[in-house]
Amino acid sequence: MPTTKRDRGSPVPTSSTKPTSDSSSSTKKPLKVKVKSFHGIARWSWGTPADDVCGICQSPFEGCAPGVKFPGDDCPVVWGACKHAYHLACISQWLAGGKNSCPICRADWNFADDS
Amino acid sequence: MSTSARRRLLRDFRRLQNDPPSGITGAPLDSNIMVWQAVIFGPDETAWEGGTFKLTLEFSEDYPNKAPSVRFLTKMFHPNIYNDGQICLDILQNQWSPIYDISAILTSIQSLLCDPNPSSPANSEASRLFSENRREYNRRVREIVEQSWVDES
Repeated sequence: MPTTKRDRGSPVPTSSTKPTSDSSSSTKKPLKVKVKSFHGIARWSWGTPADDVCGICQSPFEGCAPGVKFPGDDCPVVWGACKHAYHLACISQWLAGGKNSCPICRADWNFADDS
Repeated sequence: MSTSARRRLLRDFRRLQNDPPSGITGAPLDSNIMVWQAVIFGPDETAWEGGTFKLTLEFSEDYPNKAPSVRFLTKMFHPNIYNDGQICLDILQNQWSPIYDISAILTSIQSLLCDPNPSSPANSEASRLFSENRREYNRRVREIVEQSWVDES
């Protein structure tokens, strides 16, 4: 998974002002920079911690659960009322086995209202 | 044929190799990733110290939604282990959860060795000795430890 250390708010690298300008000469001339083009990079996540995996299949949340071809809308992540997250495909299979509990905390499983 | 169990087992294997719990080794058979052999070493400074206990784990296509069946191949003497090597451990039965992996299973079994659960006896003699005559119990355990070095199983 690519990790961007860049600040999210600034896709354009903030060109640092010349370090030669001493604190004595604080003539702050605005840099004359024209942005001709920039290369935007976006990264999506389900809102789960970065690089976290689904406890059931051990695959990344942003990846695919087994049996699902494409990540994203085809393989959504859902939360229980207990705040534990799984791939929808994974928790569905567990619940289909007749258990109605969260695999992590064993609380009765209820889908969180907004998931 | 479902491959999700196999995919999960590969991840389990990778994790077991990258982050091996102390005193535990395990690997799938060359010919079948659904069957694993594992060795648990008896924890130091206990009667089990020095023992090398072999186990076999069999996974179904329903893994990790169903627990594997786990059995000791080495002869054991323990309140929660039957004579045929089957283990009476809640997480392998009704307390199973699909978040467990092979490391978690083997670590639980390792801690069961020194911390038996007297309320669910599988070996009545071991159970009785454990609660009534700890000295004799420990002696029997050490016999098992010595046997584990020569067992051809």
